[in-house]
Amino acid sequence: MSVGGAAGGAPSAFDPKKIRMYGLVGSVVGIYLGAILNIALNTDVFSFIGAVAAIFAVVMGANSVRRICAYGIGTGVPSIGMLALGMGIIAVMFGLSVAETLGFGLLGPIITLVYAGVFGYIIGVLANKVIKFNIPVMEEGNADLSMAGAMAIFGWSFAVSGTLGYVDIVKNVLMTGYIAIIFIAGGLAILHPFNANLGPDEKQDRTLVNAIMVGGIAMIATGIAAILTQGLAAGLLQLVIGFALWFYFFKMYYKLVKRDAAAVVGTGLLPPTVQ
Amino acid sequence: MNFDINTIVYILEILVGGLLVGIGVHFVPVGGAPAAMAQATGIGTGTVQLAAGSGLTGLLAAGLMMSVTDNLWLILASGAVGAGIMIGSTMLTGSWIYAYAVGVPFASAKVNYDPITGSSQPPYVAPGTVGQGIPTICFVSGLIGGMMGGLGGAMIYYPLYLINGNAALSAMFAIGIFLVNAVLASWNIQGTIEGFHDPRFKKWPFAFRACAIASILLALAAVLITGGA
Repeated sequence: MSVGGAAGGAPSAFDPKKIRMYGLVGSVVGIYLGAILNIALNTDVFSFIGAVAAIFAVVMGANSVRRICAYGIGTGVPSIGMLALGMGIIAVMFGLSVAETLGFGLLGPIITLVYAGVFGYIIGVLANKVIKFNIPVMEEGNADLSMAGAMAIFGWSFAVSGTLGYVDIVKNVLMTGYIAIIFIAGGLAILHPFNANLGPDEKQDRTLVNAIMVGGIAMIATGIAAILTQGLAAGLLQLVIGFALWFYFFKMYYKLVKRDAAAVVGTGLLPPTVQ
Repeated sequence: MNFDINTIVYILEILVGGLLVGIGVHFVPVGGAPAAMAQATGIGTGTVQLAAGSGLTGLLAAGLMMSVTDNLWLILASGAVGAGIMIGSTMLTGSWIYAYAVGVPFASAKVNYDPITGSSQPPYVAPGTVGQGIPTICFVSGLIGGMMGGLGGAMIYYPLYLINGNAALSAMFAIGIFLVNAVLASWNIQGTIEGFHDPRFKKWPFAFRACAIASILLALAAVLITGGA
């Protein structure tokens, strides 16, 4: 079916439940792995795992943008990406702050995830019941989006600050203003893939590969920020891995574009010459 | 966190701010992609971009005022005026492009006579379009909407700053609250609206309810966060 799930019956159609599971498990495990390795080995170089973890969340978010927007929401795809990040940033601040208040800094991602999921679901219910959208996947789609936005911001914030401590993240990510880069780069990674690929011939694998590609670009940006907050080694590692991810998935994306295009032809130089 | 009467006031302020944002979106003449091609009345971009633009300008103006004084009324006025200037200049420069570059007469397809100037509209609506440019009524409506957005942004930022005392944190949190309310409201008008004379404006109670519930939930989370540093 062209709406929601599998696009055009492509053999690569992934089940949204599976993508959600990979997205959530991948991002949470990644953030914890990075944080624990950083603490255990008393270093900063594993911060890049947080940025990779964010890409798992981004893929999940891009898939749910795709599912919701396939119904046509009338306000353009960017609005829903901004909503995802808006919900996400509140969940991250809330989760980190509450975890710090409770005295368990490491609980941050879990509290964030729970708040994001519940709040996203409520926004979905509001959209369907109060604003009367009547889109069947709205509730779970919005819960997915909210969790994806939150985990993407969380992962990249961790990648910039290197710890899960609320005070460090406020000092290194918020006060420095890098949160704005994370916000927009993360928003692009979630909303851009469907915005760029939408149409009757939209294919899920192409859209999701585009999401990973933009996630790689965001990782380059957080790498530059990390050079300034954590030092050259940690930042440069992140930057190089981000560039490698971007390059690899750009190649893959280009291949998929050529696969799905009716024809790839040269148009010559502008202005067109009269034949 | 100490739960006292101030906390309730903060929650109410954030709620009112969120509602102002939600309703303000209904006033802004958003045309979306058709308006960008001068085939619909309004500014040629999406609701969220406009709402976020005016709201963030209001937030910055309010934050600047807040660094000088802690008088609530001055801060709110600064936020409203900042956002009003932003949306006004957007509409003005947009109008120049519509008038001198695209070359279309400004006309609304939703009303027969402009309620403010009284000019007849239908003769100027090009066939196959739903109006072009930004007529007077839309401009006035947009100014009101922008100022409501700015007022809402300031109203959200002010209590947040008092709660956690961290400007960067409050600003980002306010942006989050702002975006959630703006997107809910823009879903309510399905992406495009001409202003308060548009029949779609009558749908505002739905957005009011949705934004009220969302803002209360966000406000409850907002009063729990601390400044960190």
